[in-house]
Amino acid sequence: MELWKYIGRRLIQIAIIFFVIITVLFLLFRLAPGDPVSRMVDPDMTPEDAEHLISQLGLDKPLGMQYLYYLKNFFTGNFGESFHYGQPVIEIIWARLPNTILLFTTAIILAALVGVFLGKIASWHKGKTTDTLMTIGALVTHTVFLPWLGLILIWVFAYKMDWFPITGMLSEEVWLDPDAGIFARLLDVLHHMVLPLTTLFLVHFGSYLLIMRSSMLETLKEDYIVTGRAKGLSEKVIRNHHAAPNAALPVVTAVGLSLAFSINGGALTETVFTWPGIGRELVMSVSQNDYPLAQACFLLIAIVVLISNLVVDTLYAYLDPRIRY
Amino acid sequence: MSLEKSHKRHLKKFPWMDRLRGGWTIYKRNLLGRIGLSLLVMFALMAICSFIPPLIDPMYQPMTGVDPEITKSTGPSLRHWLGTDFMGRDILSQLLAGARVAFLVGVSAAFMSIVLGTAIGMVAGYMGRLVDTLLMRLADMIMVMPTMLVVLMLAALFGQLTIWTIVLIIALFRWPGVSRVIRAQTLSLKHRPFIEAARVAGASHTRIIFRHIMPNVLPLSFLYMTFRVTSAIIIEAALAFLGFGDPSTVSWGMMLQWVWKTGHMFKAPYWLLPPGICISLITLAFYMLGRAMDEVLDPRLRKEAGTE
Amino acid sequence: MALLEVENLSMGYHTQKGYLHAVEDVSFSLEEGKSLGFVGESGCGKTTLGMALMRLLPPNGVIREGRMLFDGADLLQKSDEEMREIRWQKIAMIFQAAMNALNPVHRVHEQIAEAILTHNASLDKKEAFEQVEELFQLVGIPRDRMRDYPHQYSGGMKQRAIIAMALACKPRLIIADEPTTALDVIVQDQILKEIMSLQKEFGISMIFISHDISIVADVCHDIGIMYAGKLVEHGSREEVFSNPAHPYTKALLSSYPTLTGEKSRLMPIPGETPNLIHPPSGCRFRDRCPAAKAACKTGEAVWFETSPRHKTLCYQCGADCR
Repeated sequence: MELWKYIGRRLIQIAIIFFVIITVLFLLFRLAPGDPVSRMVDPDMTPEDAEHLISQLGLDKPLGMQYLYYLKNFFTGNFGESFHYGQPVIEIIWARLPNTILLFTTAIILAALVGVFLGKIASWHKGKTTDTLMTIGALVTHTVFLPWLGLILIWVFAYKMDWFPITGMLSEEVWLDPDAGIFARLLDVLHHMVLPLTTLFLVHFGSYLLIMRSSMLETLKEDYIVTGRAKGLSEKVIRNHHAAPNAALPVVTAVGLSLAFSINGGALTETVFTWPGIGRELVMSVSQNDYPLAQACFLLIAIVVLISNLVVDTLYAYLDPRIRY
Repeated sequence: MSLEKSHKRHLKKFPWMDRLRGGWTIYKRNLLGRIGLSLLVMFALMAICSFIPPLIDPMYQPMTGVDPEITKSTGPSLRHWLGTDFMGRDILSQLLAGARVAFLVGVSAAFMSIVLGTAIGMVAGYMGRLVDTLLMRLADMIMVMPTMLVVLMLAALFGQLTIWTIVLIIALFRWPGVSRVIRAQTLSLKHRPFIEAARVAGASHTRIIFRHIMPNVLPLSFLYMTFRVTSAIIIEAALAFLGFGDPSTVSWGMMLQWVWKTGHMFKAPYWLLPPGICISLITLAFYMLGRAMDEVLDPRLRKEAGTE
Repeated sequence: MALLEVENLSMGYHTQKGYLHAVEDVSFSLEEGKSLGFVGESGCGKTTLGMALMRLLPPNGVIREGRMLFDGADLLQKSDEEMREIRWQKIAMIFQAAMNALNPVHRVHEQIAEAILTHNASLDKKEAFEQVEELFQLVGIPRDRMRDYPHQYSGGMKQRAIIAMALACKPRLIIADEPTTALDVIVQDQILKEIMSLQKEFGISMIFISHDISIVADVCHDIGIMYAGKLVEHGSREEVFSNPAHPYTKALLSSYPTLTGEKSRLMPIPGETPNLIHPPSGCRFRDRCPAAKAACKTGEAVWFETSPRHKTLCYQCGADCR
């Protein structure tokens, strides 16, 4: 019950923040140099279509009214039409969203799980070879430049070894083939996902490992660890059952704090690997001056970040009984 | 400690001098810090040396240098130690220039975010109540936003951004982290006797903040600068990589963009590897520096064997 | 034969500044069913002694010499495996409630059941929880609070839970380390009474560690006074209380106000505790002792017996000590 109240409160906070973001975006679009109309209406449109769109978006009305139209359009899912694709923006981002979520969530969750697991092990063997190797490995992968890592991986594993495809999420042959079953299609996606997933995973798991490691070392100094030993528990039980659950909490916090940075990374990964997600769409739409699409992508990413924050915070509240009760 | 000594401590307005000295001793012992510092010195040397190649021969100019004999990407040679890019420009001089840009971007963005963050943190901590809540809510909102993507949106609206605009925007998004720490420090300083004394003496709020709180909080700011520098460099590199950097600046990210976009990714390792290695190493260097700073700032992390 | 016999036990910690002599040459014995209290200021080594009895010293702690005979067997000779079996089952510990003695992310009843199940693998969870229920009843915690988390307990309840946990495996010896510090006086009193009645009921031997001599005098049959790592006085509580021999004990007693008896001035003990990394030669109390003589610096410490059960470690023997 407490948990639901907590989620409810956070949802309200998120709504407020999102509201501020929308408003700021609205103002920026209207107040930036240049003709705001040309930002919402494709210059290649016929005058009649343009007229229609202008009145639909309320661009001929005063600023206050425009704002209301803007909100109304947002809530009805009307983001206009993409200059580049000629399709309604909502369709495009709707198609892209699952791809991003698939890649991003898998990478972050995997990075967190592996990071916690290895960080725990590194702390056990503090000072010995295993620990040194893991720490160095974590340091190196954590500081490597993400797009460059992606390029290197493509070069080595896709280009040279031909183990993986160089770009994209799907192979046309598999997906256009009417006889190909769900399993074959799934496998195809996974095959394409390996390299981008590895890139995103590598850059993140290092920091989680390091945090878990130092967190474990701190936790092992706590009084309840002494209690555990006094009770006659084996070191293994103490580390896994008593220390690790406490030590993992700061890692959860770290995942939450670095979400903004992770999203940057996600967008970069998608771009390098031509993975058809929202991040890549944003990058491309900006370079093509496809304003409606760019704006919608940005707002969607903002929502994703905020919701991810909520998920992480809820997870923390669930794991730490001191928050829940 | 005798009564006199502790009394003197309270009146001492600049205890940070001793802390700084003590901090340096701790820092010197730390291996990570030493490695980080050496790497940074190497990059600093690179940045300084970046002025040399164009002086030797105009063809070594990173941006506009044209080798009369080479107009495509070639491997390392005596003429061009790291080879040339697709236009025949020298890669090594580009790399050196990139070091210069990295420091420029990193340090300026970090500096600006420190100035902003310290000012806001001090005001929030000192004023408290409504001002504090508002500022910290603002900080929370900004921290949530992915900086790089925001700059992208702004690029969309305002056209091509110059390097300084990018630096400014980065600073505008990195101050929340600093302000939190400074705010906490201000809160603890707020109730110290020497602040009370100043208040009783009739000093205005501004005077108290700038003359009394700031000097005690500033060292902390500068120490935290190390954390800010890395992210600024990475964001600039990422933006340049995507094609949104300042086209008149040669940065490492820009070099990667050229390699990528001109399709030389697989054919020119001498071009692909150096800039990426540099970005990664400088990030590593600042990270190590930051960790060493951590030990200086937080006594609990120091490697002292405990007593019961 | 006594349940616990400690002979010439010395231990300390390796610190960056050198080896810290935390406990030096301590000997005592404890009979079955009796309680012994150790009193001293912070840093005197009483907690270290308590931890050492269960061989729970931190990694930089080391027991240099001596013997700890529990039920005739030297604990210092036992392997890690054997110690783990002895811990909690034979010797248990009551920690301070103010400490983080309970793991914040696990429920209280689970942590107590864990102690039971570790030493009795034949039980299943249900049976273990039933035992926990009984224990809770014993210490006076309402059943409906069993499944709570530690942070939901008040200080007094936490202490009771810790006591319940210590009793879980029905140990023969319990070491209570400042079990009532940081509790308010009323709760303190309740807990002490609780401990005393439990001890009588189950015949558990107890070692009670505290900085408060008045509490120890209330609860324990015998008292040991510790100063700067050394045991300076040892005797039954009546004798130590009414007839203190060591100057430190006398100073301790006169620094406490009493409700009854004549009003006298409170005497704080001047000076500071000595540096235990470079302990002073001779008697460690000499810098603060009102009766110090030149011999205290160089002389050999000798146990002086005021009575068969009451002895004092003082460099000046004979009538001067009284």
